Amino acid sequence: MSNKKVNKKDIAKLLETWSQQFTVLAPSRESGVAEMLKWDGKDTSFLDWYRNTVVPPKASFFPPMEEMFRFQKDKEGYQIELPPSNEHKQLIFGIRPCDARAMAILDMTFKDAYQDPYYLSRRNNTVLVGLGCINPCESCFCTSMGISPAESTDVDLMLTDIGDEFLIEEVTDKGKKLTAKASGLKEATKDDEAKAKEVKKTSHDKVTRKLDTEGIKDKLLASFDDEGFWEKAAAKCISCGICTLLCPTCYCFDINDELVRGEGTRFRSWDSCGFSLYTKMPMENPRQEKWRRVRQKVCHKYEFYPMTFDIIACTGCGRCIRLCPVNWDITQVLESVPVKTEVRK
Amino acid sequence: MEQKLRQEARALLEQNKVDWIIGFEPGSLKFTATPLITKDKNDAERLVINPFIVNNLANFLTEIKGRVGIVAKGCDSRSIVSLIQDNKVVREDVVILGVPCPGIIDLSKVEQLVGKNRDELDDITREGDKVAIKVNGGKKEFPATEVLFDNCLACEFPTPQEYDLLLGEPRPPAPNLEASGQNIERLKGISSEERWAFWENEFSRCIRCYACRNVCPACFCQRCFVEETEPQWALPVPRWQDNLIFQIIRNIHVAGRCTDCGECERACPVRIPLRSLTREMYDIVDELFRFKTGMDKEARPLMTHYEQEEAEDFFR
Amino acid sequence: MTATDVSHGKRFFARGNVYLPHIVVIEKIIEETPGVRTLHFNFKDKKLQKEFTFESGQFGEYSVFGIGEAPFCISSSPTRHDHLEFTVQRVGRVTNALHRLGVGAEIGFRGPYGNSFPLDFLKGKSSLVFVGGGIGLAPLRSLIWNVIDNRDKYKKIDIIYGARSPADLCFGYDLEAWGKDKTVNMVTTVDRGDDAWKGKVGVVPKILEEVAPSASNAVAIVCGPPIMIRFTFPVLEKLGFAPEQMLTTLEKRMKCGIGKCGRCNIGNVYVCRDGPVFSYAQIKSFVSSEY
Repeated sequence: MSNKKVNKKDIAKLLETWSQQFTVLAPSRESGVAEMLKWDGKDTSFLDWYRNTVVPPKASFFPPMEEMFRFQKDKEGYQIELPPSNEHKQLIFGIRPCDARAMAILDMTFKDAYQDPYYLSRRNNTVLVGLGCINPCESCFCTSMGISPAESTDVDLMLTDIGDEFLIEEVTDKGKKLTAKASGLKEATKDDEAKAKEVKKTSHDKVTRKLDTEGIKDKLLASFDDEGFWEKAAAKCISCGICTLLCPTCYCFDINDELVRGEGTRFRSWDSCGFSLYTKMPMENPRQEKWRRVRQKVCHKYEFYPMTFDIIACTGCGRCIRLCPVNWDITQVLESVPVKTEVRK
Repeated sequence: MEQKLRQEARALLEQNKVDWIIGFEPGSLKFTATPLITKDKNDAERLVINPFIVNNLANFLTEIKGRVGIVAKGCDSRSIVSLIQDNKVVREDVVILGVPCPGIIDLSKVEQLVGKNRDELDDITREGDKVAIKVNGGKKEFPATEVLFDNCLACEFPTPQEYDLLLGEPRPPAPNLEASGQNIERLKGISSEERWAFWENEFSRCIRCYACRNVCPACFCQRCFVEETEPQWALPVPRWQDNLIFQIIRNIHVAGRCTDCGECERACPVRIPLRSLTREMYDIVDELFRFKTGMDKEARPLMTHYEQEEAEDFFR
Repeated sequence: MTATDVSHGKRFFARGNVYLPHIVVIEKIIEETPGVRTLHFNFKDKKLQKEFTFESGQFGEYSVFGIGEAPFCISSSPTRHDHLEFTVQRVGRVTNALHRLGVGAEIGFRGPYGNSFPLDFLKGKSSLVFVGGGIGLAPLRSLIWNVIDNRDKYKKIDIIYGARSPADLCFGYDLEAWGKDKTVNMVTTVDRGDDAWKGKVGVVPKILEEVAPSASNAVAIVCGPPIMIRFTFPVLEKLGFAPEQMLTTLEKRMKCGIGKCGRCNIGNVYVCRDGPVFSYAQIKSFVSSEY
């Protein structure tokens, strides 16, 4: 089975074809910050972008704010109205392997036990077209997290830059249906396949930032109560929400209501375990001190999530390192977790 | 200067004159510096002074307990004085290691000028009033004013006003005061409907990360007004109206405490031009009350007292 | 712990959406103390009234529409299901709003969530020791009535309950009923008495030590403010109770109640989904010491 390919100049036409059936989302800076937005119909300059979007693609499934339902009080009491169900189909074009893997990690939480209808209805109606990275950044460390910058099995179609063209790999059946609809695609030659293989390897080798995750779960378990270590690790953190809100695998949310003149809405919105009042109860706050919150973030991603779902909740996208106002670096913290011989308790 | 700083920091810790040293060390990314907060005198070797020491370290003074030796640029030292005015910091508990600041380099401006990503650049150095960028084996030079942060272009007090040790020669104010306010001037020139539409658009992408608040030394409240539930001033939901209310009230709360260090705008991950609000407030405070933040440690904070001779025309 | 739902009860979803509350109506309000109220309620939908079941220890998420949602345990017993009850202390925005409601008011209810007290484990025991403090009696009371309503399945029952002062004692009507019940040893205490108080004076852990229930084939169920629990466990240990013989309910700030929003976790354990009922043995094995 050979793969297809498409000329870079024909990408706009390809997206146009798909736009007839899907709402196509592509990386854009139109809003003032790099994020996935509805494709404007002509711009493909994002194909030359160096860096990933600032706002991760999780925002297309789990937006910063969404209405869970509306309620209204009339003489019979409260009437609750669900938002119209999200049946329209989406196509996300240009998602990077790190973010695609992050979607798979998020799925585990939203599907687990109680199924989250808002996230899942969007997720089930979306196809992902991945774009491999050929110039990994200094902040990227995806290769340490079990993925590769130019390869992905978490998307429906995977594009690899082989010069003037993209090689297209059909990863899932949904992906096959996509290429069936598209025109302007050619068959890839053996040379194309070889070039793609080379590009993938080069890209992989370009990732310089490395993190040794061997035994990290147990290292963190043993160091959980090392207050001195965590205080030092947390010293320069300012407890904002950037690393968590913009992390593609973070999913903490808050629920709030608003009522204006008898009509109201229940909202879900992004929240962060880094905020000082996140766990506050009337009489006490188990994570009052900043070092506890920093410890929670690190341990949740590298110890607790793996305990439940067998995967580290981090894909090495590097946003947290790039965007942190004080350059707090999780890879530096993890490298310096002390190795303890006695197990706690 | 770095050598002097390292020696001094080490001595302060060795002689038990301070409990902590707060300064900068090289960051984990190229062309980045990161705060160094330490009690260990051996860490003094890591301290640096370079064109990337952007953070306002005064931010940490309201959190760290004990005596602190702190590296402060012009704007930072005024923030420290403002905290002293507010009784949040005791003057005798800080040793201010003042750094006369030539301006901090904005990497996004460099990237735009050179047309390359920061990862592709080999080196960036400040040479007098020029900045030299080494890339692709060659070297490009630009006037420093084209790559410094906007607020550095408007800097009236690059030399710390209050210090215990000055690490360098005092510097004159920045020459290009107008260049920093381009967005503000543009906003002043459009109608208020257009301005409202502009801010609605900008605040639509705010995600309420609170980096602007948490990076600001003037925001030192244990419980911020936006975290109150009774009454709820702004919903903790990132709607543009609530985001705008948060920022407006925050500006009012920090009026007279803001030194235009620019950290709020720089820290914002979604690039909201917050300085257009904070700098305007800074100028309004100067105009109405002839008050500049953090100049006199004996002075009372602006908003805590009222002089009879003050402007009253905003009372309606 | 695997990520599965350990709730044994049926799932009562409104229109299939896990976050959508049912409408319930307040039927009766009891002022337990100046800051604590018990609200009796029932589903507006009569069909649901008949179908709804839960187990002692489970909680629900109660909404005051427009103000917010908060978790409270269901303090009535599943054996008395003509109505449901929950008990609220006034401490913040949502609880203040709940206290302003009158009979007939409509609120939202989602649940039942969480795990429950392990009745099969308790049935085989020679003695059950209930230790409660303040409003902590609320989850316990669901279990106590459950046990008393099935009296022949359980053996010895000790109830040790205390509050800061006589005015802070909750569920006075239950304390009276249990005091009159000859098959139950009811001990009530206050930290500080007043002029009218004729009963015991002393903090709950101290009174527990005085009562000194036997640990032989016994289980202690402890609910109360964290500080009371922290002082009660050592007393039980001194009396010979093993960590597996001590049960409690943990309280954390909660929002979704279904293990998604991330707030109530202790390490890899979600209090809303894997709890709130835990044994001390389980608590000791948590990977996080933040409880």
